Amino acid sequence: MTAHPSTLRALLGALALVVGLGAEAGPLEAQWVRESEQFYLPAGHNWKFRDNYANADRLFNAFDYGHAILYEELYTRPDGPVERLEEKEFDFLTRRLLLNPPRVPLEEGAIEVAYAKLAPEAKMMFHWAHLLHRQAYDVWADERLSPAEKDAAMAEVLAYYRSRPDLAFSTVPKSMEIMDGQYFSLAFRQRYPKFNGLIWAYHWLQVGLYEPLLVGGDVQERKAGVDATVGRFWQMISDAPENMPHLMPMTASVAPEFSRRYPEVAIVFDNLHMMHDVVSDVLVSEKVPRGRKRQELLRQAELFRSDTAYATTREEWLRMAEMMGANNMGGRAVGFTAALPEPTVARGASMADMDHGAHAAQPADHAAMGHATHGADAGTTAPDREKALEFAARLLSDPAVEARIHADPRLHRLRSDHARAAGDPHAGHAQAQRAPGSAGEPSDADELLALAAEVVRDGEVQRRIQQDPVLRRQWEDPGVRRVLLRRP
Amino acid sequence: MVRSGPLPPQLQRRGAALLCAAALAALPARLAAQTDYYNTDAGRPVLIEDAYPTERYAFELQLAPLRLERVSGGVYDWGVEPEIAYGILPQTHVEVGFPLAWTDAAGAAGEFGLAGIDVSVLHNLNVETSGLPAFGIAAEAVLPVGSLAPDQLYPSVKAIATRTFGFARFHVNGRYTFGSEPDSDTAGEAAEGPEELSRWMAGVAVDRTLPLRSMLLIADVYAAQPLHEEEDLEWNAGAGVRFQWSPRLAVDAGLGRRLTGGPRWFVTFGTAYAFAVRSLIPLPAR
Repeated sequence: MTAHPSTLRALLGALALVVGLGAEAGPLEAQWVRESEQFYLPAGHNWKFRDNYANADRLFNAFDYGHAILYEELYTRPDGPVERLEEKEFDFLTRRLLLNPPRVPLEEGAIEVAYAKLAPEAKMMFHWAHLLHRQAYDVWADERLSPAEKDAAMAEVLAYYRSRPDLAFSTVPKSMEIMDGQYFSLAFRQRYPKFNGLIWAYHWLQVGLYEPLLVGGDVQERKAGVDATVGRFWQMISDAPENMPHLMPMTASVAPEFSRRYPEVAIVFDNLHMMHDVVSDVLVSEKVPRGRKRQELLRQAELFRSDTAYATTREEWLRMAEMMGANNMGGRAVGFTAALPEPTVARGASMADMDHGAHAAQPADHAAMGHATHGADAGTTAPDREKALEFAARLLSDPAVEARIHADPRLHRLRSDHARAAGDPHAGHAQAQRAPGSAGEPSDADELLALAAEVVRDGEVQRRIQQDPVLRRQWEDPGVRRVLLRRP
Repeated sequence: MVRSGPLPPQLQRRGAALLCAAALAALPARLAAQTDYYNTDAGRPVLIEDAYPTERYAFELQLAPLRLERVSGGVYDWGVEPEIAYGILPQTHVEVGFPLAWTDAAGAAGEFGLAGIDVSVLHNLNVETSGLPAFGIAAEAVLPVGSLAPDQLYPSVKAIATRTFGFARFHVNGRYTFGSEPDSDTAGEAAEGPEELSRWMAGVAVDRTLPLRSMLLIADVYAAQPLHEEEDLEWNAGAGVRFQWSPRLAVDAGLGRRLTGGPRWFVTFGTAYAFAVRSLIPLPAR
């Protein structure tokens, strides 16, 4: 056997190139990822949407590119000029790629090279959910299936999707706070409002296309409906960003019939689209240091797989969709009029913006918008938080508790600190309803809860709670305790 | 493909043990037969492959992977190796190939036959991250079945690494084959395709993806030490393209040349069709 030293050197050099170059510092175990890919569920309906609705199907291939190039740009050029996405990529997408979309689904890993290496787990979650999307279209595009058979097929593809708990989004709805209320939230839509609008237009079409497929009485109606929905999408992205959705489209608003018939699938899609926004925020936000991007993305992925973190009820999810208003999300995806729906909130508005703006007069609906669970309080619900806020407001307004706070230097200092951070907590419940502020700052409501969580630990305050029947009844509520006692 | 010379019993046992060990190691992960243009497969169109296997539950059927090789003296070797790979476990696939060879020597009668049965298992150890390349391991064997097959079992082990950069992706492969030297008299011409048996092989490939066209351009260079110890080290290079024709069908084409030991070149063409079998997928109860 002959192996020249120069040969060996060349081969070892090649190995070093592959193994070594580009390696970034970091614990080995944190980089050792063993998620595996899995084929889609084989069935007679496979690729029927591609066969029967080719034009719409090809748009989704272009959407794949839009998502991928967005993450790659955000991660590899954090300080790059805004115009790179808002103008160059936006124009490429809307004037070239969407007009001539790829023939086949794209390999996103070849586009978002650095992002795919940063968080392959999150990438695979997206891919797995996109497969569910495509399989759901296929089911409803298969004209050989009866409605009952379509329902059965939908149940199967959902079961198959959920058979990968390491990749599957929760089928429990999340409150808007997971998207709007975290410390890094809103960074992307504030820096890149036009591209954000494009992503929301994508998401509008992705969930909206189900509606004409479901409400169409026959194949002609379905085809005409899909064409009309695609036409509305083109209307949306023309004259950008004027006609784009002002809020993240929620499936229950855009495709209510689909959401009624398949609520779990609709919830998965809303969670998927929320996580798309959250990933963008994490990548853009300077509050997430570059060295912690992967860690934060993995944490977010876990939250989105969890059935308890930022969880809300289906009823609240539906109310949230209604409260936010279909017109703000691009409108329902069937029954179009010539004019585009008239939004009632500013483009890219957050929950906090809505609270202070058009919806400020409806504080009772605040819980429906999903502010009932928050941050580390995974497992608490919207009603829990609402009740805790009511309790906190009453507690801190109670004269005996006020006197105790005034008398105790530690509690007094805490109240002063919280008052400085959030304004006067004595403003009561109406102020307590205020949502988290922009750019991830803690909200007044958060400050109120944090202060109450400290005060409630004081022995004298506890005695006062026991003396007052209303406070006692409120404090005995397990939901209130869950919210307050989990706080540091 | 090199045939002949019975494998000593101790080596056969060693090879079998290595195969078993590799298969066991593969249990928690996935193997390397690919379902689309981006995931390369050995010989399709170049020898050096990536560290990823076929997706779990997927079959990849290579129906007509053709290879034409021109050896010195006007001799042409034709080969067709239908293969099927199956993602049997997470990050793991098994693959079986049936290489059919036909030697067409000018002025002489051609020879046609099965040149053994190739079996392999590939396991991906990890997904590539910012800090680590993807690594894969494979156990392969050529079974002595067919008129042009070797006279003995030739087991091999292989290590694979894949690293992706924005401008290109790199793959490094290294393989070692066990077994005694073949008998020169029985080592047929058809059994000497450059991608097949050698004592050891090491090489690197670089590919560049055109994602919007679902096309991949790839080139490799590798060194192989023939099983005959007295023969010189061989250097080979190849290049080709993989293209996604439809969501389930990928095609590839390539050409290559031996850089040492006299002129010798080859061309390849292949198709790969991906599918799954419903009954092999356990669906959770609803």
